[in-house]
Amino acid sequence: MAAAVQEPVAPTFGDIDRSVLRVMEMPGLVYWIWVGFCFALVGIGAALWTRQIYEGLGVTGLRQPVMWAVYITNFVFWVGIAHSGTLISAILFLFRTRWRTAVYRAAETMTLFAVATAGLFPMIHLGRVWNLYWLLPYPNQRYLQPNFRSPLVWDAFAVSTYLTISALFLFMGLIPDVANAREHATGWRRTFYATLALGWRGTDEQWRHFSMAYLLLAGLATPLVLSVHSVVSWDFAMAQLPGWHSTIFAPYFVAGAIFSGVAMVITLLVPMRRWLHIEDLLTPWHFDNLAKVVLLTSLVVTYSYSVETFMAWYSGDKIEQMTFYMRYFGPWGWLFWVMVLCNCLIPLLLFSPRIRVNLTALWIISLFVNVGMWTERFVIIAGSLATNFNPSQWAFFRPSITEIMITAGSFGWFLGLFSLFARFLPIVSMTELKEGIVWLRKSLRKDYSRVA
Amino acid sequence: MSGPVEIVASFADESGCAGSIEKLRTAKPIAVRVFSPIPSHHIEHAIGKRKSPVRAFVLTGGILGVISALALTIGTSWEWNLVVGGKPIVSWPPFIVIMFELMVLFGGISAVLGFLLNARVPAFEIDAGYSSRFSGDRFGVVVRCEEGDSTRFESILRDAGAEEVGREAA
Repeated sequence: MAAAVQEPVAPTFGDIDRSVLRVMEMPGLVYWIWVGFCFALVGIGAALWTRQIYEGLGVTGLRQPVMWAVYITNFVFWVGIAHSGTLISAILFLFRTRWRTAVYRAAETMTLFAVATAGLFPMIHLGRVWNLYWLLPYPNQRYLQPNFRSPLVWDAFAVSTYLTISALFLFMGLIPDVANAREHATGWRRTFYATLALGWRGTDEQWRHFSMAYLLLAGLATPLVLSVHSVVSWDFAMAQLPGWHSTIFAPYFVAGAIFSGVAMVITLLVPMRRWLHIEDLLTPWHFDNLAKVVLLTSLVVTYSYSVETFMAWYSGDKIEQMTFYMRYFGPWGWLFWVMVLCNCLIPLLLFSPRIRVNLTALWIISLFVNVGMWTERFVIIAGSLATNFNPSQWAFFRPSITEIMITAGSFGWFLGLFSLFARFLPIVSMTELKEGIVWLRKSLRKDYSRVA
Repeated sequence: MSGPVEIVASFADESGCAGSIEKLRTAKPIAVRVFSPIPSHHIEHAIGKRKSPVRAFVLTGGILGVISALALTIGTSWEWNLVVGGKPIVSWPPFIVIMFELMVLFGGISAVLGFLLNARVPAFEIDAGYSSRFSGDRFGVVVRCEEGDSTRFESILRDAGAEEVGREAA
């Protein structure tokens, strides 16, 4: 006898509103404990940074020749995390990719907070943070301006542009959703949503200008996202240092950024889907597609590692070859192999459709990728500096508790801000889900039982 | 006493709403305004308005960004003629990065400004005929017409599948 087949769900506009608005109701004690824990980490990090400002960079593990290590690794890691948000929200918007609608708001929120986290690290890395304005186009007392040929100045322009455009893009997309939330809210929330909604009523005139502005912002954000991590990679590639001075760094870093960013989206969405009870909006179909992006970018990253090694060998440059030898078999060689395991081997499991829709397995794989991509940046940055041209200078870096806790604080900052957003603003775009409701319905009808 | 009135109709779906607008266009009311919870190409096509001028804002912003970057990089190089690495004072290829970033920055800000100005937001008054459901799960069509024509327009809206049709004084 055939088993009873459950009738597939066909959500309506009203169902989408109810599911998303329910998430925005006042959260419970466990949520506040979690947010408190995140900001406690921020507090510890801030206290240690204050001490670092007072005592100087001697409280870190930074010593010649390794003067860029954990802080710059964190900067590159968080900028990289940001990239997938713009990929999903802008690039996939231009390609009209159907599965992006349910995940793009969370990814875009992640982008904004990841860039905001990344932006802290150049400041934290400065011994004299009060001189930060030297990066800005502001002359010194002798009217000497910053050197616009320096990749560090390019980076200041790229990251601040990225932060601004990401914030505008997120804010624009939020307007119709907060207008909807306004209609269902009372008290201070109604005032809050009404202020953010700017009096939006969804008239044909408003939509006409909104759609054009949103499309063009997406069009501008698309080359921007490719440029930002290219510029970050040039912080290294423009230097003469072996292990850094490479022409493939820009595409290699962009692929790595999307790889780590999509993995972070999965890391955030899997628990969020369960805790916020939005299983009807985030379906296995969405995760299946995210996993495919992780798999593709993992293969690109693996190819980049291979090409980098080939270039070092084929160049005939003994110093370059020695740097790579030390990267693989030196005192920190184990870190390289951790990176290969996390970034190249474990993601190969995603070739299996069964694993792509097994959310527990997918979440664990995404954690490995996060670890692997942080390690990759550390290996490139600190490892190359440690084994520079002159072997008599070689020295290996040990992070101090200050760097470790400031890193933990950055995770607290990012996760705390994301958690606040997720409960007080629409973390799933109601407007875009409704626009693609046909695809949401189809995704709910997809039968994953054969592979799950 | 005869004067203009506003007929408010609500639709459960986008296609019914778009269909009603096409029929209304041939009947020539004084004005038609549509409320929609989603951006809709069908509705936009039915209304038949020109493309948004936000495009011109973005183009202007982008060009201004490039010019500003050129002025900043070249101007500051000339201001303090310091030779760096034996390169010419104005060694422009590295300045392309700054030009690109400022083009995107100014273009993006202009897109948002263009939207705010053209869409007339922030708006402090509620548009006539608006209902909270039009931000959620219903599409609204507001027809402004002479009172004498109102019955004709109401029947057009009902024939197009409107769930509810009401009348407000204009």
